Amino acid sequence: MASNDTFASLRSRYLPDHVIGEILSKRWIDNAIPFSALVLTVVVLGTIIPDFFSVSSLSDLARQFAEFGLVVLALTVVMISGGIDLSVASVFSLAVLFSLIGVNVYELPIPVVMGGILLIGMGCGAINGVLIGYLRLRAFLTTLVSLIIFRSVYEIVFLRMSTSIMSGFSMSELWLFIGEGTIFGVPTSLVITAVIALAWHIVLSRMRPGWRLMAVGGARRSAFNAGIDVRFMVFLTYVASSTMCALAGFLFAARLGSTGSDTGVGLEVQALTAAVLGGTAIGGGRGSVAKAIIGALLVLMLTNGLINLGISGPITSTILGAVLLLAVFVDMRWQKHRHRILAKVYVSPAYLSLPPAPQVDAPGSPYALNDRLRSVEIIGLGEIEGPEDVILDRNDNLYCGTRHGDIVRFFGPDHKRSEVFAHIGGHPLGMQFDRDGNLLVCIGGMGLFQVAPDKTVTKLTDETNRSWGSIVDDSRLRLADDVDVAPDGRIYFSEATIRYEQEDWATDALESRPSGRIICYDPRTGKTHTEIPKLVFANGVAMCRDGLSFMFAESWTCSISRYYFDGPKKGKTERVISDLPGYPDNINRASDGTFWMALLGMRGPALDLALRMPGFRKRMARRVAPDQWLYPNINTGCVVKFNEKGEILDSLWDLGGLNHPMITSMREHRGWLYLGGVSNNRIGRYRLPDADPNWCAEDEYWGQRT
Amino acid sequence: MSKMRLSQEGVVFALALSLFVVFSLTLNNFLTGGNLIALVRSVAILGVLGLGMGLVVIGRGIDLAMVATMVVSLSWVLSMAQGGTPLGTALLLGLLLALSIGLVSGILIAYADIPAIFTTLAMGLVAYGAGRAFLFQIDVQNTPSGVPWFSFLGTGTVLGIPMPIVAFGVVAAVLALLLRRTRFGRFVYAAGDNAVAARITGIPLRPLIVAQYIVTSLIAFVAGVVMAAAVSSMSTRVYNSTLIYDVLLVVVLGGISLSGGRGGVRNVLVGTLLVGVLLNGMTILDITYTTQNLIKSLILLLAITVDSFINPRDEQTSQQSQGDI
Amino acid sequence: MTIRKLLTAGLIALGMALPTLAVADDGLDNPSRNPFYDGLKGKRVVFIPLAMGFDLTEGWAAIMRKQAEDLGYTLEIRDPNWSTDAGTRALTALIADKPDLIIAHNPDVQSYARLLKRAMDAGIKVIQLNLESVVPTDAYVGADWARVGYIQADVLTKQCGTGSGKSGKIAIVRGQPTAASDLYELYAYKQTFAKDPAIQIVSEQAAQYDPAKARAIMETVLQQHPDLCGVVGNWDNQDIGAGAAIQAAGKADDIYLVTSGGGNQIGCDNIEKGLLDMIISYDVPLQGNAINQQIAQTLLSPAAAGETQTAYYTPLTPLTKDNIGPRTCWNLDQLK
Repeated sequence: MASNDTFASLRSRYLPDHVIGEILSKRWIDNAIPFSALVLTVVVLGTIIPDFFSVSSLSDLARQFAEFGLVVLALTVVMISGGIDLSVASVFSLAVLFSLIGVNVYELPIPVVMGGILLIGMGCGAINGVLIGYLRLRAFLTTLVSLIIFRSVYEIVFLRMSTSIMSGFSMSELWLFIGEGTIFGVPTSLVITAVIALAWHIVLSRMRPGWRLMAVGGARRSAFNAGIDVRFMVFLTYVASSTMCALAGFLFAARLGSTGSDTGVGLEVQALTAAVLGGTAIGGGRGSVAKAIIGALLVLMLTNGLINLGISGPITSTILGAVLLLAVFVDMRWQKHRHRILAKVYVSPAYLSLPPAPQVDAPGSPYALNDRLRSVEIIGLGEIEGPEDVILDRNDNLYCGTRHGDIVRFFGPDHKRSEVFAHIGGHPLGMQFDRDGNLLVCIGGMGLFQVAPDKTVTKLTDETNRSWGSIVDDSRLRLADDVDVAPDGRIYFSEATIRYEQEDWATDALESRPSGRIICYDPRTGKTHTEIPKLVFANGVAMCRDGLSFMFAESWTCSISRYYFDGPKKGKTERVISDLPGYPDNINRASDGTFWMALLGMRGPALDLALRMPGFRKRMARRVAPDQWLYPNINTGCVVKFNEKGEILDSLWDLGGLNHPMITSMREHRGWLYLGGVSNNRIGRYRLPDADPNWCAEDEYWGQRT
Repeated sequence: MSKMRLSQEGVVFALALSLFVVFSLTLNNFLTGGNLIALVRSVAILGVLGLGMGLVVIGRGIDLAMVATMVVSLSWVLSMAQGGTPLGTALLLGLLLALSIGLVSGILIAYADIPAIFTTLAMGLVAYGAGRAFLFQIDVQNTPSGVPWFSFLGTGTVLGIPMPIVAFGVVAAVLALLLRRTRFGRFVYAAGDNAVAARITGIPLRPLIVAQYIVTSLIAFVAGVVMAAAVSSMSTRVYNSTLIYDVLLVVVLGGISLSGGRGGVRNVLVGTLLVGVLLNGMTILDITYTTQNLIKSLILLLAITVDSFINPRDEQTSQQSQGDI
Repeated sequence: MTIRKLLTAGLIALGMALPTLAVADDGLDNPSRNPFYDGLKGKRVVFIPLAMGFDLTEGWAAIMRKQAEDLGYTLEIRDPNWSTDAGTRALTALIADKPDLIIAHNPDVQSYARLLKRAMDAGIKVIQLNLESVVPTDAYVGADWARVGYIQADVLTKQCGTGSGKSGKIAIVRGQPTAASDLYELYAYKQTFAKDPAIQIVSEQAAQYDPAKARAIMETVLQQHPDLCGVVGNWDNQDIGAGAAIQAAGKADDIYLVTSGGGNQIGCDNIEKGLLDMIISYDVPLQGNAINQQIAQTLLSPAAAGETQTAYYTPLTPLTKDNIGPRTCWNLDQLK
């Protein structure tokens, strides 16, 4: 038994099972299949084609990629917005034609030609854009027609000008530089395409217009309702698409210096194949520059490779068709089953051995059961939902957060009237006042915010340093939970877990993995860093009176620790209580120099045992519906008073659970104890018989003020 | 007001009618029997293909492999006939080939859940390539000489009506019966309108989809026979042309929505009619082939633009899972 | 004794004579033979056609392959399948690959031009086959398109020009407007037709080697000009479409259709069927032999790539109903 335990503990400590799920949950995993296909293609072609990796053949590939990649990128941008642009091929060939007319026939300066070509591209795009964006025509049909229109224009002009194009020839240095030159050994056209691709990557992944584009493609109705100018965005995508295709045509003209009657024919099918192979969804909302590049490279290398192997044209087309079928098939399966696989793999329980729980009903137990919280006064019944934390200011006003993303203020002293003090948008969890009376709030899913007394909301931080080797992006704050302020103004707050969102906290309990942490934000430098990593659901934080340390709770290990951030013991953590009968939540100061702590739920022997059996919990997570998993018992909670030595001094219960079944927070204020619960619709107020009737936490922290 | 509202079919029909009237009044030899027959004949093959495409589009599919099916099966037939196989046997084998292409597409779409647009695009490439590589070497196949009944299919007349028109009429009539009078037709509409609902009510959705693509391939084969007989050869390069886009346009212009469940044979006829009137009028107006393409597509654009004003869509409804088609 | 002496003497004489006799029977070792075979053995020749799968390229390839097998050099084919883009890609890859000789079949006069020059700069010899580009290379073997054009135009002028009593309306069905064949032929047509005031060019459109397109164009032209007199086309495989349109309109006897081609049996069949009236044949088997000869010569030539430029224009034969017999035209199986 013991050896089994040791084994399970070692296994869960050293085998990183959770990594698989985290990798699968990354967005770039979408690119894994196309990317491995690309690598496979490169390896296979590289072995069977001699000189595949020679400089000259790579530079040829680079130039072709510069043109084709631009076209695929153009199509990708439109597809991301939920449309489709079949006219890419015709715009491309028009650009080739007019470039050659400009350069060979009229001998215009190259920049003028280039400008003109881009204008032609914009014009073509604007036609598509107005029709599809503003007149709400169907994209497929409309670009199909414009494909034919632009193609007809090409054929008419081409017939007239072909002879003069053929007889003219430009010796312009710039023209040759674009077509055949290099910049530091890299073909000019590839540099141009790379710059454009990089710009699109930044726009799509880092900038507002790109996000809006994604939103329009992902859920057009929601985007419209969210106030995005859908029509304009759609219009823009077509303009951008055609302009890029025109540029690609210009580069093609510079490289080959000629055009035939089949220039660009069928390019739309190739580009579409490339986009889909890369993983861009045809319905919109999914796609990236990386996908476009992978797809374009794949198609280009495959076609080039087959030609170079001397495989006959028809067989080449058969192979391409088969590859397209296979790619879409694999992609469909992947899209369909990814979430299913992820759901099965992501939950990865760890080994956790808790000391035996104290007997709460034993005589003399400090946890002796009682019903003292049953007769509390009720504040704001039904007006608020989910006051995870409550706090009071010097003027007896009561603040609490709600599930709707508001901070509600009940006016003292009777707390009958209330107002929305501030709207931030996420569920406010821990709260604290700083020296200047600003309310600091941890918002689940958003980060640390500050609400000034004049109600202005400021974001203090929503990210910390990313830890090495992290797969889940742990620089973003997912579940900031409780906060307190050191005398010098540094703000310490807990983040419960980096692996789950707030609503999945119970799954984190099932895992009981050290994925939480304490983070420090220093307002003097504006910097954020992780102070204590790898905590098991880090929760309550409360400053000790020495000004050098704070108490913090780890819910799933049922323990309280004390951390020294200054002084001789700086950097040390001491376990203060390690055998709580329940799961601790917020910690706050009491008037007599001790602390209050909320237990959000009570331990049970079944879950305690299961925590030592990670394999069992993993099987449970895979095979049993989530609503039948073993969870912490949150039907009963209590408030416990303890001192710095870790002695339990008192406990307050509401056994029947009439008013406060689950308690996540409590504040003492002028002889009363105010109670909050993350799933309650009320705030409770309990008269503390022996407490200092004038004690106010804000005064104790920052001194008396009028 | 709602009664006054024109459907897209109405718009296109009105456009075709007004063009017809304008041409009749302004062009000398437009309104002659010979010309009207020439008008229909010039678009008959397009129309036949359009009927096949119409069927799958009603069932919320699309078949971009139609032209490849037609070209490959007929080229194989002619190649076998050149090689000495009796034409009848060759035609039978070609028909089997066409049907099996449809069968494979259908299975991939219905059972492997690959979107129709990609399946058929890829099937077109595969069929074309495999045909050229394994079934026949030369890309233009001539009809065998000395088989008068075959050339009659392309160049003969029945009661003064050229065979391509007769074929168009027969296929249209059969398809109309199939769609309106049989259980298969009802099911196609139901599946196209709401595939999930159709499935829940017990329609065998997957076999139904396979059947659609088989029927469409059959129609493509018929179109191929008429075409080969009319041009007395079959060139695989037809596959590389924009014919498939023209077919799609005829279907959609007539008012068969790409989102399925709407329209019928009449819509294809109306779409074909507009294209026919246009082409014929421009021919008489002495407009060159390339310019005709331009004008044709501009008129098509006009038609769908007018439709968008009469039947506007908005952001709340315009997105579909298969993209904005 | 004497007999024995005689016998001995005879035997000795025989013994001495035998080697002499053997030397005399060995004949002469041809000194130029070995350099020829050794010079060709192991060489690499790559052919880039417009596409495989039609009579001309299949015919040439069959003949070239035979000689390659015979003489021990390799012939590879890169098939761009009608795509200029694929062709240029194949060519760029070949420049890196460095074969000994590239045989290029140009889709138009310019697309490959720069690349062919680059290939020669890289030391690869280049022969252009039947369709040339604006850049002269080591050799050109193929039809003299201007001459094809003049012959065609002369035939039509005779059929439709002054004194023929016909309308003089002529339609030109072009192939690929940028290909060498088209450009040079068109020049010849224009020059010739300009000389006869009775000739009137009523249509000049490109069918891009596609018979269906040729048919569509011809249907249009026939509607516009029911009194059309002659059609001059670029390629027989394409112009059977035009011929079918003429036949469908019932005007096969009134309209004279002259085109050019490789002299394949299908072309002859089409003349017999009345779809075509005359094909100026550039005779693929002859061209195949000429290209074979040129391949050997170019590979053996000590000159560097691009140093000398030669051209050989293959003979032309007009084929009509009157002069074709069962053996006039060729088919692929014979060549293989």
